[in-house]
Amino acid sequence: MKRLMRILVLPFALVLLMGADNQEARYQNIGGKIMCTCGCAQMLLKCNHVGCPNSAQMIKELRTNVNQTSNDEEVLNWFRKNWGITAVVEPSTHGFELLAWLLPIAGMGIGLLLVLLVIRSWRLRPATVAAGDMNLAPELEAMRDRARRETEI
Amino acid sequence: MPLLGNFCLLFALALAIYCFVVGVIAAVSKNAVGYRLAETARRAGMASFVAVLLAAVALVYSALTDDFSVAYILHHSNRALPAPYKFAVLWSGQEGSMLFWALLLSCYGFVLRLRHKVDQRLVAMASMVLAGIQVFFLILVNFVAKPFGMMDRVVADGNGLNPLLQYPEMVIHPPMLYLGYVGVSVPFAFALAALIMRYPGEKWIHLTRKWTMIAWCFQSVGILLGAHWAYAVLGWGGYWGWDPVENASLLPWLSGTAFLHSVMMQEKRGMMKVWNIWLIFITFMLSILGTLLTRAGLVSSVHAFAQSSIGPWFTTLLGVVFAVCLIFYIKNRDHLKAENKLESLVSRESSFLFNNLVLLGACFAVLCGTLFPILSEAVRGVKMNLGAPFYNKVMIPIGLFLIFLTGVGPLLAWRSTSYGSIKRNFAIPATVSFTVMVTLMVVWYRSGIRFWTDLNQIYALLSFTLGTLVTATIASEFIRGGRVLQNKLQTNLLAGVYLLMRRNMRRYGGYVVHFGVVLVIIGLAGTAFNKDQEKELGVADSMQIGHYELRNQEYTQDDNANYRSEAALLDVYKDGKYLTRLNPEERWFKASGGQPVHIVANYSTLVEDLYVIYEGSPNGHPFIKALVNPLVNWIWIGVLVIIFGTGMALVPNAAPVTAQVPKAVAVSAMEKQGMRAAGVSE
Repeated sequence: MKRLMRILVLPFALVLLMGADNQEARYQNIGGKIMCTCGCAQMLLKCNHVGCPNSAQMIKELRTNVNQTSNDEEVLNWFRKNWGITAVVEPSTHGFELLAWLLPIAGMGIGLLLVLLVIRSWRLRPATVAAGDMNLAPELEAMRDRARRETEI
Repeated sequence: MPLLGNFCLLFALALAIYCFVVGVIAAVSKNAVGYRLAETARRAGMASFVAVLLAAVALVYSALTDDFSVAYILHHSNRALPAPYKFAVLWSGQEGSMLFWALLLSCYGFVLRLRHKVDQRLVAMASMVLAGIQVFFLILVNFVAKPFGMMDRVVADGNGLNPLLQYPEMVIHPPMLYLGYVGVSVPFAFALAALIMRYPGEKWIHLTRKWTMIAWCFQSVGILLGAHWAYAVLGWGGYWGWDPVENASLLPWLSGTAFLHSVMMQEKRGMMKVWNIWLIFITFMLSILGTLLTRAGLVSSVHAFAQSSIGPWFTTLLGVVFAVCLIFYIKNRDHLKAENKLESLVSRESSFLFNNLVLLGACFAVLCGTLFPILSEAVRGVKMNLGAPFYNKVMIPIGLFLIFLTGVGPLLAWRSTSYGSIKRNFAIPATVSFTVMVTLMVVWYRSGIRFWTDLNQIYALLSFTLGTLVTATIASEFIRGGRVLQNKLQTNLLAGVYLLMRRNMRRYGGYVVHFGVVLVIIGLAGTAFNKDQEKELGVADSMQIGHYELRNQEYTQDDNANYRSEAALLDVYKDGKYLTRLNPEERWFKASGGQPVHIVANYSTLVEDLYVIYEGSPNGHPFIKALVNPLVNWIWIGVLVIIFGTGMALVPNAAPVTAQVPKAVAVSAMEKQGMRAAGVSE
């Protein structure tokens, strides 16, 4: 079983650890985090608004920044500074915007903790015995019912 | 007609108030008079449906007859609007959609009250809760968002329907969503009623099971129809943009899905009673919150929902519902104690717990992202909207873990699963999915896809692998069970599988729904391989995208009463061979001040979609954007499978085939054990 688990986990881990970047992929990736600011409410690379006053300029600036800067966060910060913080729809990983990333993680963490506490309390609690007379037949009947329900046959 | 509509709405409000107030009195007085009062309340509730229906008919009639003296019709319709869209006017604006909500709610209430004999006391209490909600919506349509408000002057023609809504799916997508969200009110009403009454046992769950599943199915179909509408109409090549309105529809769906799973724990093991009660309360509150978020202008959306004054009303409703739920929970929480304990961590119970954790975690993450602009505005004074990159980063790993649980959960037994059983059950699905993963890696590598350089393609690989795991699990469940019956009843495997399904339609219907979800996931995973290309095409010019070549034959213009349009006629060749002709188009609707709408041309196959958008002609030639979107069709096929699976799960089970034992033998055997012969089933 352990061997099987290793076989299963290893490729996933390898695949997740791998990650090389090329300029086109970076351009697509960063462009997918920037919104066109003309008011069309579309992502920069998806803006299908012909004659858009902003997208051509923004795309040109994106190309230039991707070629000049190796750090993706710096490119996004450039857009935040020049086009306003609402131009980038992915929150940054510092300051107030970090909260957006932390909240879901905290929520999941607290949820996991609660689930573990619930499991612990269940395991410690004795099972409740159903009230009723203790004649053999109804009890057996109840057991049969329970078996039917739990095995679903 | 507007007068009749107004009168019907007022009358419906009076009936709903009577149903609610008299329902409360009847619930308090437990004598014969109370019983008779409850009966009058029930009939008043049923009559309120007729009154609201008449009001809705009056509004539709006003739309069909172009009665622009009604302000709502003036703002949402025009003479040239085709008749089906005039019908859709009922839910295309704020006032109409509130009336539509009230109509569906009273319709659900009508069916519930009609079937009161299933449990008269519980239904009477649930009907009272439902009447309370009805009163809220009828107050709204009578005094706040009036669909029959009159114009003070006569106008020749209306402003027209939002052009984005002039699409066949918009005639069915909103009703589906509304049916889903309003449908949640029924299990909510039963849950609250059962809590108020300290109703023993799990009967409220049995009674609401079908309602919950139907509401969930409508929600799923509604959400995916909305996605299809976005894909076909918005013309940006995608179907889900994590817009606040989309998120608002997803929130109750996620909590509703968690409820559908965890409720099984209560039915089978008498566990998670508090959890289930709160899950259905939360699901109902989330559907109200979604309405509040999108209609009160708290968050901005690309969808055409106007900011309005109904926000405070929904905030009040939310507060009242929460307070009522909390009060009765605190008062009667001792009634919700679990009957059994968890016997093993490796069990179906645990998998449901984690399934609920992940679904609610996903719900919380979406809620955080949706509410973040409000928080950002409060702290920094700027509404910072979070877009797809944020949601994709947070939600894709959660989604992948959820698919993993979907694959693993069904293989775990209730109460406890032995190591041997895990090994036996997992061997084949794990091997098959691992083989698929390795095969995909090799095939992609050979075809030049360097998937390790793109996180989206890595996610796609994991999606295909886990999708295979779920499919293999489902198949193994069917085959294993089918084989048992095949041997027991001396029949063939197919008949065995059929009999297996007929014995437990809910379980196997659920597996079919899981398979539908896998198909949707496969469709979503295809996004990682999307291609797009943009070019200005003069006559006889061509562009290449993937295997496809698009040649512009000509472009045309058209003008009719409703809109003016431009279209390109593109011949499509695949690997040099003629395939089809596509006509991407752009329309400018006259009544809406010339708002442009893209009419996308889509050549769709099971492998990929060639999606072509006419973006305009700034220099006199069409500007064409073409996308190749792989596997998109599997999303819509997945929806059909989900509907089929839900339908299956709603079909009653067939009686199990039992081996015949001669009665005399059975009785004698039971007597030997001191058991009563009455226990023998004949």
